[in-house]
Amino acid sequence: MDYAIETSGLSKEFITPRIIYRAIAHPFTKQKTILAVNNITISIRKGELFCLVGPNGSGKTTFLKILSCLILPTRGNAVVFGYDILKKEDKVKAAIGLIIGDERSFYWRLTLRQNLSFFAALYNLNPLQSKKIIKELSCLLEIEDMLERSFQECSTGIKQRLAIARGLLGDPQILFMDEPVKSLDALLRRELNIFIKDKLIKERGKTVILITHNLKEAEQLADRIAIMQKGEILACGTLAELRAKINNPIGSLEEAYSKIIVD
Amino acid sequence: MVYLSKVTAFIRKEFLIQSSYWMAFIFSWLGILISAATFYFISKLLNSENMISVKAYGAGYFPYVLIGIAFSGYFSTAMHTFSGNIRSEQITGTLEAMLVTPTRLSTIIISLSLWDFIFTSINAVIYLFFGAVFFKVDFTQMNIIASLLILTLTVISLSGIGIISASFIIVFKKGDPVSWLVTISSGFFSGVFFPVEVLPKYLRVFSYFLPLTYSLKGLRHAILQGYSIGMLLPEIAVLFAFCIILTPLSIKIFGYALRCAKISGSLTHY
Ligand SMILES: Nc1ncnc2c1ncn2[C@@H]1O[C@H](COP(=O)(O)OP(=O)(O)OP(=O)(O)O)[C@@H](O)[C@H]1O
Ligand SMILES: [Mg+2]
Repeated sequence: MDYAIETSGLSKEFITPRIIYRAIAHPFTKQKTILAVNNITISIRKGELFCLVGPNGSGKTTFLKILSCLILPTRGNAVVFGYDILKKEDKVKAAIGLIIGDERSFYWRLTLRQNLSFFAALYNLNPLQSKKIIKELSCLLEIEDMLERSFQECSTGIKQRLAIARGLLGDPQILFMDEPVKSLDALLRRELNIFIKDKLIKERGKTVILITHNLKEAEQLADRIAIMQKGEILACGTLAELRAKINNPIGSLEEAYSKIIVD
Repeated sequence: MVYLSKVTAFIRKEFLIQSSYWMAFIFSWLGILISAATFYFISKLLNSENMISVKAYGAGYFPYVLIGIAFSGYFSTAMHTFSGNIRSEQITGTLEAMLVTPTRLSTIIISLSLWDFIFTSINAVIYLFFGAVFFKVDFTQMNIIASLLILTLTVISLSGIGIISASFIIVFKKGDPVSWLVTISSGFFSGVFFPVEVLPKYLRVFSYFLPLTYSLKGLRHAILQGYSIGMLLPEIAVLFAFCIILTPLSIKIFGYALRCAKISGSLTHY
């Protein structure tokens, strides 16, 4: 098992409006099919930092949600950490952590610590383990002074750090990050990127799939980068490989991105 | 073990949130006192000597209606807790965060509702307590084991309907016909405020299809007259039948709804 993730022909079609609605509410609207993820076959190695970039609506989030068992694919299949996403949902979920840049998804009236302990229990941690990991993660993300504050009092940056801490509670082997640092300040962004690279990948051998709109960051961090458009992966490889693709050995990712997307 | 600690985490979380709104507790208990008092004074206007169907329970109208309103709370809780909690967790976005943990949606739904059932039980006890202390209702006959058995069967069978209603919420997000239909009909047909025997025959038919009818009948006999499990066998059997039909049916419908939502990618939409 050398691969953390292997997908084969993974596709997702959304049908809107949904059939049940159409019969009742929109009998005259034509049904539309959106091909959000189109025939993706890739393998991501263990310990790799894999960046997914692409314009809005290119299917990046949908791809991650399929791998997280939140959406069923229309065709194809995927194996996450050795487990089939269609058959071993519980095992897949125990192996992954999903971090979304959306910072609302906590209990606003509870403190940060209460929020984290609640989710820790859902990751099957007992109170002792939960206490230990909350301490560790809050140090790491520099929120230990905020733990007793209620969530509603915190700034967006703190909320986002809490979301990152939550994704790490279960000590997952694979991390899915969907624009996790969207509202962090430049300094903290850099620290967090270093944390991902040094602590998660190098020290602990985790695999990270990172969705970002920041091409500079992707260029610096990623082992490999996939450029998505309209549900398809147009190009995938190391920076050098992408440069070769546009015949410019010193070009930036931004250049490669704009050339590949336009073509 | 793991399951238990998850369930406790849910109850703890809900308790922490709800108790941060402590004013609401005080008002809800004040509300209980006022509603009990209202029915107490209404019952004074009534001459219970003439109420043959109420007298079947061995006491006057006030004890009769007190048990009706105290325990119909379980009914409204069961109808709303599953769908209501799912919807509110969808809106806050916490449902998605729970769903990517190794925790099944069925565990999430059931655990989320437990606090509501605990709170409903506290309220029911408070109703009875106020009834005994302020309005001198006699509960000395109560058969606790029989009451708890009926209550358990009631919660299980009503939860079946509640979970079916939550399935509609998962697919349609709003407006589920099940709880609407059952809620508007149950207050009227189940004998909460008046015995079903006073209804005209053609209306009484509906009451036979509602689990609450049998629950309230059984609970009144057990609490006010101390009927034993043997004496309550007809009610227990019917409630048990409701459980046997509704539980697998609700699991089936729920599984189907979950699949629909995963296909349309709307599990966390609202
Ligand atoms: N549940 C859904 N039902 C119907 N269409 C959907 C659903 N979810 C996503 N889509 C559509 O699928 C396409 C891909 O969406 P997705 O959110 O995966 O894009 P994205 O690459 O994450 O975009 P962004 O960079 O803006 O986050 C879009 O056209 C979107 O409108
Ligand atoms: Mg997205």
